[in-house]
Amino acid sequence: MAISPIGAMMSAATAAPVAGAQQVGAAGAASATSQTGQASGDFGNVVVNALQGVESSQDTANSLAVQAATGNLADVHQYTIAATEASLQTEMTVAVRDRAVEAFNSIMAMQI
Amino acid sequence: MTIFPVFDITSSALTTNRVWMDAIADNLANVNTVKPFDQPAFQARFIQAQELPSNQGDPVGVGGGVTAAAVKFGDSTGIIHSDPGNPMANKQGLIRSPDVDVAQNMTDLIIAQRAYELNLSVVQAANQSYQQAIQINGK
Repeated sequence: MAISPIGAMMSAATAAPVAGAQQVGAAGAASATSQTGQASGDFGNVVVNALQGVESSQDTANSLAVQAATGNLADVHQYTIAATEASLQTEMTVAVRDRAVEAFNSIMAMQI
Repeated sequence: MTIFPVFDITSSALTTNRVWMDAIADNLANVNTVKPFDQPAFQARFIQAQELPSNQGDPVGVGGGVTAAAVKFGDSTGIIHSDPGNPMANKQGLIRSPDVDVAQNMTDLIIAQRAYELNLSVVQAANQSYQQAIQINGK
């Protein structure tokens, strides 16, 4: 039982810094959807998808905030719930990143 | 379909209850709106709530919340009473005042307010749960 989690962590750790960093950079250039060469299940893609989700929920919250400021918001809770959702999604993505970095650091700290 | 469907569902409930409160506000705002005898009286507004179907990608099949599907209108006959001094009264001195049940509307207002609060606490509970889930630490 002790071996397999480490193996899983190693694959996550190797995928995280390389593929993750490249694709996050690509997502910044708004070309993440063209990343078809990568295996769909790899960690980089997961992070990119999560970041896109975060971005869209933050966009929603931002446009609702503008509506609230300009007096066009139909419902108060629409904004507050969207903001809560955006913050939760951000927190979750940060948690995922922290775990990945932690796993990577655990591997890097291995005595050789 | 987000990964937090509870917020969408609760949001629909909050909107519906807000619409209901709007309708009650309208009823109470027009409680003294009298009309001439030959015109229909102010009709009380009733909100018809309806459940929403499941969201796409919902594996279990819980519903998608609730919506204010339609507004139903009350009796346009109103309450006919005699008020000869009113400029709108007809020759017999009759006018129509709205058939708005104030006690019923006040009770509904409390129910709508409580339902709104109820759904706010669902948001709060869900938010807390998700945050605690995010903070699960393997160590």
